[in-house]
Parts: sequence; structure tokens; C-alpha cells
Amino acid sequence: MNQQTKANSNENTLLVAALLDIGEMLLVSGAEVSRVEDTMERLGKAYRFNRVDIFSITSSIVLTVQAENGEVITQTRRIRSTQVDMEKIVHINALSRDLCLSPKGVEDLQKCITDISGTKKYPALVKLLAYPLISGPLTVFFGGSLIDAAASLISGLFLSIIIALGYKMKMQSLVLYLLCSFVTGLAVILLINLGIGASFDKIIIGNIMLLIPGISLTTSLRDMIRGDLITGLLGLCEALLKAFAIAVGFGTVMIMIGL
Amino acid sequence: MQTIFIQVLMAFLGVVGFSVMYNIHGYKIIITGLGGSLSWICYRIIFHFSEGNKILSCFTATLIIALLSEILARILKTPVILFLVPMLVPLVPGSDLYYMMSSLVLQNSSLVKSYAILLAGEAAAIAFGIIIITTLTQTVIRSSQFIRKIRRIRAGE
Repeated sequence: MNQQTKANSNENTLLVAALLDIGEMLLVSGAEVSRVEDTMERLGKAYRFNRVDIFSITSSIVLTVQAENGEVITQTRRIRSTQVDMEKIVHINALSRDLCLSPKGVEDLQKCITDISGTKKYPALVKLLAYPLISGPLTVFFGGSLIDAAASLISGLFLSIIIALGYKMKMQSLVLYLLCSFVTGLAVILLINLGIGASFDKIIIGNIMLLIPGISLTTSLRDMIRGDLITGLLGLCEALLKAFAIAVGFGTVMIMIGL
Repeated sequence: MQTIFIQVLMAFLGVVGFSVMYNIHGYKIIITGLGGSLSWICYRIIFHFSEGNKILSCFTATLIIALLSEILARILKTPVILFLVPMLVPLVPGSDLYYMMSSLVLQNSSLVKSYAILLAGEAAAIAFGIIIITTLTQTVIRSSQFIRKIRRIRAGE
């Protein structure tokens, strides 16, 4: 009897860890906090926990469940960096939908989670080339000419290489943003002096669109309107600081050349 | 007219690029790209009729895009943000941020102030647009579920 309860409790602990894995993956892939909380609550109910209390902000998840035998389990996760990955969110969404219909055993669940964490990604080269393919068209979008777009393509490639290196070196994101905008600004000036590109502002705007935290700014406002005040404030603070870092980076270049 | 056509095309390309950055695969990239173009078309139409009111244009375009992505998400059984986030990229006020920054460098404080107000207004317009549509769809879904429940109870009687 005693052994039975022990095995049960061990299983519950593993289950909570697996649920947190799902939540962590969602947050890291850039899902909203409300989605994470909603998913965890549904899954907890599906696994017949008596009580599920989930609290999540952008950088942490706390999950407390009360099992059917009255045992209370709490586990937390700290999330340090996020990398938007929509494909993962799609897969987790499908998994949680399946689980709500028919809960799987712990081992099956763990296997599903490892499967999802290895979802297909674009090769590194494609990701590297995605940045210039954004900055070039957006320069034209904001009113640049074709030659500006060419300059924007080249400086966007610079930017993507620096960002990739920065991520690899685990650089602090604010410092990375500052460095990126500074170096990109210098690259644009160099290109203009070489005769590629004419309007400094349009080329810079195309590159700013890559760095600008517009999405996180609107997401944070949305969180706040919805009632997730802490998450909203954190997001807003981060977005404003990032915008500030970008402004300082490009601003320094502009002061240097006396624009 | 020609510039708008070029802008729409470029919005498509830019959003496709962002979709790759966000690791979206397959046919969904084309959908998000077309949605990005649509958001810019809506923006320009409202911009034309409201005589250059950027905030109102942002708000209306966001309403349309948010509604579209809710519908697409329901049809294709995917999370809403997969469509919403890339499609809204053309509305992100990157140029206003730049001009605010450049006027900051030029120490033109009255311009900085007006750009800051414009930026805050645009960000708030996008956020409110999304919230309104999310709340609306949730209300519609819940009330339709409620009505179905009542019908079932009545049929049971």
C-alpha cells in the first residue's frame, strides 16, 4: 500500500515536470502568457488534478497541483531567453488538444515532448538570409529607391551576421541591440560613401524594422489591457529599453557624421 | 497609385521574410504574406478617407487583420498569433520611431514630442484593435456554446 502511494507520487512529480516542459517550450517559443496559463490549466484538469494553480510571467512559470490523493506538488521554471518559433507552438497546441481528449501516460508524454523539441527548423543559412530579405523590401516599402534597397540588403546581411554571432556568444540582448544598430549605421555610411544607396534614413528604417520591438510593445500593451499587469510591465519595460538601445546606437552614428 | 502597388508587393516580401524568421513553414507563409499585403491595403484606404489620420488607419487595419487571423486560425486549427504577428508587421511604426530618434539627435524637442505621442497612439491603436477582436470572438463562441446547450436541454425535455 505504502509502496503504491510512493510510486503514484513519483509519477505525479514526473507528470508535473512534463507539463512544465510543455509550458516552458510554449513561453520560449514566444507564446503569450495567457496562452501558457490557459494550456497548463486545461492539461491539469485533463490529468484529473484536484486543483491546478498556475502563475506565469515572461521569465518564470510556477505550477502547483493537488493530486487526487491529496498530495501537493509545486515546481518552477526560470525562462532566460526566448526565440520565436511558431512551428513549435502549432505542434504543442495540437498535442495539448490531443491530451485534453485522451490523457497519455507519463512516458508517452515525455516522448511526445522530445519529438516536438526537435521540430524542423530552417537551415542556418536560410535564417541568415532572411534578415536582408526583410530589410531590402522594407526600405522600398518606406519610400527608398532600388539602389537604397541594395544598400539595405547588404547592411541587413551585416546585421544578421552580428546577431547570429551575438546569440552564439550569449551576449546581453540590450548590449547586442546597441552594438548591432551602431555597426549597421556605420556600414550604411560606408556604403553610401562607396556610392551604393543615397537616402540614409530610408536604408536605416529598413534595418530598424528588423530590430524594432514593435510586436513585443503591442503584446505588452495587450497583456496589460487583459489584466496580466506584471507581464505587461516587464514587456513594456523591455521594449522601451530595446528601442532606447537602438536609438542610442544609430544616434551615435548620426552624431558622428553630423547629420 | 504605382507607389501603393510597389508598397503592397514589398509588404508581401517583408512579411514572408519575417515568417521565415519566426519559423513558419509551408503554405502558411503565402497566407501570412498575402495578409501583410492586405493589412497595408486597408491602411492606405483608411488613410486616404480619413485625410491622413495614421492612428485611425492603424486601428482599422488591425481590426480587419485580427478578425481575419481569428477566422484563419479557426479554419486551419492553428494558434492565432501565427497569423496575427507577421501580418501586422507592415503596421509597425518603424519610420516614426526613426524620425523621432533623428529629431532627438537634432535636438528638436517639439518634433520629438509630437512623434512620441504619435508612436504611443499607434501602438495603443494596434493593441486595442487586437483586444477588441479577441474579446468579441470569445464572446461569440461562448454565447453560441451557451445557446447550443440550452437547445440540447430543451430537446432532452
